[in-house]
Amino acid sequence: MYRLKRIVTSKLFVTLIWILGLIIIWEVCASVVESTKRTPENILPHLSGIVDSIFSDRKVNGSQTAFQMVLDNAGATLSRAGIGFLIGTLCGFVLALLMNLSGIAEKIAFPYLMLIQMIPILGMAPIINAITGDIAKSRIIIAAILTFYPVATNTLAGFKSVEREKHELMYSYAANKLQIYIKTLIPSCIPYFFTGLKISAPMAITASILVDTLQGGIGLGCLLSQSLKGAMTRYVFWQIVFFSAFIGIMSFCLMGIIEKALTPYKNNRKTRKRV
Amino acid sequence: MKTYGTKLKKLTSAIYPIAFGVLIFIMWQTQLLHKLLNTDVYILPLPSRIAEIISDNSSKIMENVISTVEVAIPGLILGSVLGYLIAIIAALFKTYGSGGLTVISAFNAVPIVALAPVITNWTKDVSPEASVRSFAAKVIVVTIMCTASMSVNAYRGLTELKPFSEDLMKSYACGKGKTLLKLRLPNSVPYIFTALRVSVPSSVISTLVAEYFAEYITGVGRQIRENILTAQYATAWAYIVVACLIGIIMYILLILAESIFLKNRRQVLSIK
Repeated sequence: MYRLKRIVTSKLFVTLIWILGLIIIWEVCASVVESTKRTPENILPHLSGIVDSIFSDRKVNGSQTAFQMVLDNAGATLSRAGIGFLIGTLCGFVLALLMNLSGIAEKIAFPYLMLIQMIPILGMAPIINAITGDIAKSRIIIAAILTFYPVATNTLAGFKSVEREKHELMYSYAANKLQIYIKTLIPSCIPYFFTGLKISAPMAITASILVDTLQGGIGLGCLLSQSLKGAMTRYVFWQIVFFSAFIGIMSFCLMGIIEKALTPYKNNRKTRKRV
Repeated sequence: MKTYGTKLKKLTSAIYPIAFGVLIFIMWQTQLLHKLLNTDVYILPLPSRIAEIISDNSSKIMENVISTVEVAIPGLILGSVLGYLIAIIAALFKTYGSGGLTVISAFNAVPIVALAPVITNWTKDVSPEASVRSFAAKVIVVTIMCTASMSVNAYRGLTELKPFSEDLMKSYACGKGKTLLKLRLPNSVPYIFTALRVSVPSSVISTLVAEYFAEYITGVGRQIRENILTAQYATAWAYIVVACLIGIIMYILLILAESIFLKNRRQVLSIK
């Protein structure tokens, strides 16, 4: 009995129940839609239909099946999002470092970091496209900008969170600035840094897809708008919706995994606490 | 002496960013920025030109601003209220509640671009009027975007109590309902503002994106896109500036509200 209770209240089980519940709701709604609408796949297809379309080998555009096409385009979109994400992360981290090193840099940059959050970067996508003149470049830039500020603000907060005692200890060790950064400041800002990464990873992907929709070519966003216009089966659209949701969530999880791998000592402490 | 020092500090922390802003502005107006970015005044119009367009088209811009704000604010309120209710339910039934929140917070990672067209399809039957239909679609998108951040933050506010305060409620023999009303709800107020700080800017941005995909052509976001498509970059820039202003003004209002609502709490903190 106790065992059963433990399984029922375990986190994995609860999450599974929730996902199952959502699937049931989806299917009920889909059945309702199916019986009332002429083209149910435009509104809410059955999940089985979407899964079928993934595994069906009917060629959509002459040479590729729907899923192959989605994967192909996803590769292009993801690589751009990834490059932008890396650039943004690097810039964000360096800026946070600079801001922590020099009071003047912090005073100059901090209000603008706050301001940049208000600017609808996604709305500026077309402009950046026009400035760079190259759609691939502008996708990378926008993903980088969106990644940049969560990383910068969170990392800076991490630097600031170091306790006074630690600074005093390093002072008593006669540590120089480089040693202070390597031994105390950078290790202790890592959790904050990853909080920033977790926020910005899905954002970079969203940005990359959105910018795709502005201009043709290869990319998930282009495929999405083509499918919406009726150029190919609607199931391509649904596959993209689920795929982008999936990679959005996966990118978030991936950051968590990398964080755990980089800071094994944190895990140990936690498990020790639990015992 | 000390007050002089803090005053000087305050002054410099205002001067540096302003100087930087002025520098950028001058570089922009004198076209130095254009050389750096390797572009021309056509794509990146001068600030004076943008200001001119805003003042010339103020009535039309106002119309679009109202239509955007009309979507962003109801969406923000609906999403926040919904998120808060979800958080209360989750806090009352903790085992299943927190699991549900994990699933909801996964929605945060779902790109809005994926949501917007789906919801446009869903609202096809709401009304024969295209404007009403796309209004509903846009509000739903904004609501979904705001629900997740509010529910996750409010749940933390409702459950992360000081240990002794929960014991105190127990010693008063308070029931679940009374603890919720007297302890959990007040405790969650600062967390509500944390959530709003995220969701106010994101409500504006998701409104703009939802407008991209909406059927009915209206709103600041859609105007940016339409003007770009017709290669009227100066007008598009005017709308971008306006969009930034909407975001900034809403954020300032939020900060004001926060300073009013959290006034007493700050005092308690400073006494400590």
